[in-house]
Amino acid sequence: MFKRRFISQILVSLFTFALVVACTQPNPSNSSVTPSSEGSTTSRNAVAIPIGVAVAQTSNVSLLGQEQVIGAKIAEQVFNQKGGVNGTPIKLIFQDTAGDEQGAINAFNTLISQSKVVGIVGPTLSQQAFGADPVAERAKVPVLAPSNTAKGIPQIGDYIARVSAPVAVVAPNAIEAALKTNPQIKNVAVFFAQNDAFSKSETGTFQKTVQDKALNLVTVQKFQTTDTDFQTQVTNAMNLKPDLIIISGLAADGGNLVKQLRDLGYKGLIIGGNGLNTSNILPVCKQACDGVLIAQAYSPEHPGDLNKTFRDVYKTQNKKEPPQFSAQAFTGIQVFVEALTALDNKTKLNTLSLEQLRTELNKQILSAKYDTPLGQISFDSEGEIQQSQFYVAQIKMDADGQNGRFEFLK
Amino acid sequence: MTMTAFLETYGFLIVSMLLGALLGLSVYLPLMAGQLSLASPGFYALGGYIAAILSTQVFPVTEGSFPLLELLLEMLLAAIAAAVLAIALGIPVLRLRGIYLAIATIAFVEILRVLALNLEITGGAVGIFGIPQPFQSQIGYLWIVVPLLGLSMVFLYRLESMHVGRVLRAIREDELAADTMGINPTHYKLLSFVLGAVLAGVVGAISAHFLNTWNARQGTFDASIVYLAFVLSGGSRTFVGPVVGGIVLTALPEILRGMAGISGLPIWLAQFLQDGRLIIFGLLIVMSTVFLPPRGNYTRTVTTMAMAKAAARQRETRETREGSD
Repeated sequence: MFKRRFISQILVSLFTFALVVACTQPNPSNSSVTPSSEGSTTSRNAVAIPIGVAVAQTSNVSLLGQEQVIGAKIAEQVFNQKGGVNGTPIKLIFQDTAGDEQGAINAFNTLISQSKVVGIVGPTLSQQAFGADPVAERAKVPVLAPSNTAKGIPQIGDYIARVSAPVAVVAPNAIEAALKTNPQIKNVAVFFAQNDAFSKSETGTFQKTVQDKALNLVTVQKFQTTDTDFQTQVTNAMNLKPDLIIISGLAADGGNLVKQLRDLGYKGLIIGGNGLNTSNILPVCKQACDGVLIAQAYSPEHPGDLNKTFRDVYKTQNKKEPPQFSAQAFTGIQVFVEALTALDNKTKLNTLSLEQLRTELNKQILSAKYDTPLGQISFDSEGEIQQSQFYVAQIKMDADGQNGRFEFLK
Repeated sequence: MTMTAFLETYGFLIVSMLLGALLGLSVYLPLMAGQLSLASPGFYALGGYIAAILSTQVFPVTEGSFPLLELLLEMLLAAIAAAVLAIALGIPVLRLRGIYLAIATIAFVEILRVLALNLEITGGAVGIFGIPQPFQSQIGYLWIVVPLLGLSMVFLYRLESMHVGRVLRAIREDELAADTMGINPTHYKLLSFVLGAVLAGVVGAISAHFLNTWNARQGTFDASIVYLAFVLSGGSRTFVGPVVGGIVLTALPEILRGMAGISGLPIWLAQFLQDGRLIIFGLLIVMSTVFLPPRGNYTRTVTTMAMAKAAARQRETRETREGSD
């Protein structure tokens, strides 16, 4: 018995050893592709500039992460066709963060020390950002968050900025649109998914806006993103006769909640939060989706050549309008490319060591203005995005209840 | 690759692997007495919240690094809180056996998670962020984690060869037989449960600093299964098993990430290595249960009786010795 145990342990350690050896193998080949690091000032022109993209390509957050990957890849294609950074192409290096903090930190570490990227676009979730961004901050690597909307993200450090407008700025627009549609609104019921970080901070903003507008907040109902039955919460809310219902949740649960609200006879307006801001909810609530209002940080109809290029490429590839998450990831890459170009015009990039390049790039990012698919954006000194335009879309379903689209309100 | 670059890339992973080993041990401890408890993530989450709240809200803000002494104090408080909670939980719950105990402990983990989501002090779903760092780089955590793992392993090594270790093994092999030999199973089951909880709580306190942030997604039911996999794949008969299992399984996803980057690998294989780590996880667990089967009932009872007898004899000798002193 002892022998067998001993042998199995030997086997496990051999297995570990083999894997560790295997895992160190890629490095020599990698370092020949990436630009030489500190000190060396050899010509970098032939070598593409590596930019890291660390988003959730797997796990339950991957629906969002995959939209971000599409947006980033379009940006790589579009800007390299335009000549990249004064003739030097960029090269995106993708690392999957999965849905957890450990995964995000590992992806960041790999990008920073192994791939030697000049900056990182990511991660997908705010919670992951709270874990991984301090790592980049300590390594002095600029990070642009494509979808972190929680309070406190740019405040993590000097090197952390975001292109995703915080909930506190975006969410109130939907309430204003609802009041425009129906000025009689008085009683508001709020629903939120209590186990989702984004929904939790979003509902805070919604509730505050409701009070600021002197509306009557009749009830706050909680649910879980994993719930499928909302009858208790819906009945509780319906008894208080609300004329506006605001939902902060994710696609599947939010969609089901909308459906059950309509099934149980609710006739008033519904506002969905950013978690419902995806065409993935249409198959869930079908006909009941019709009329749901959702605030947007991006409109495919935004004028401007760059947005037109982005929208056209996206539509050819995916046969639908580009969603906000793809547009934000695109914008993240765009900001890096434009900042690198501006920096290159001042000081040739290949005269800078990697450390200097990262630091100067970060300063450059924060100091300029960008004309992006999201509209005109810039950053304040902390790295918070200053975005001028927001939109509100209303879901319009076809008569058969199968297909629908987001129609932007004027 | 130079040593510095290697440490920069894999420093976080190396510390995570050792933390994984410690968490494996925290599941292994109750298992020494045959108790399949999945409560470890609950105590891990509790320890993390204690450290996160103390360091961000209670302790005064200090310039530069977070004082190491305060980290040790947090670990101590986490250990005490975990022990108190484990005693309160263990007394009713350890009456259950096998799958029922597992279910009850899952419920405990779930209760803690829902509590964390609803309390103000834990920051709800967003959690607590901006947790101060005691070390300049993540590899610095080895100063805490290596001694902790070393001490735990020495402790377990001693425990297994001591009277208590034999008693725990006797209970694991056959609780009824052990009871008839004059062992008080409740006492020893609770002891191993509390030891496991204390270890998980301490690891949680370290992890909160290590991850920079703490929220209700840490230490959930999913984590219970992962920790159990550490023990199952490494082997549950000696303390070396969970340590090896924790190290290997924590490293595995990252090693697969590295392997996926090997140039010249077919794309489908690289994709599978990146995305298929849960499949490989599952395969490992199935393989380890198939290839490391428990012994048959008859021999088990016999060995248990023998072990319990040996334990009783050892205790007798000790008591007579103490008596004669």
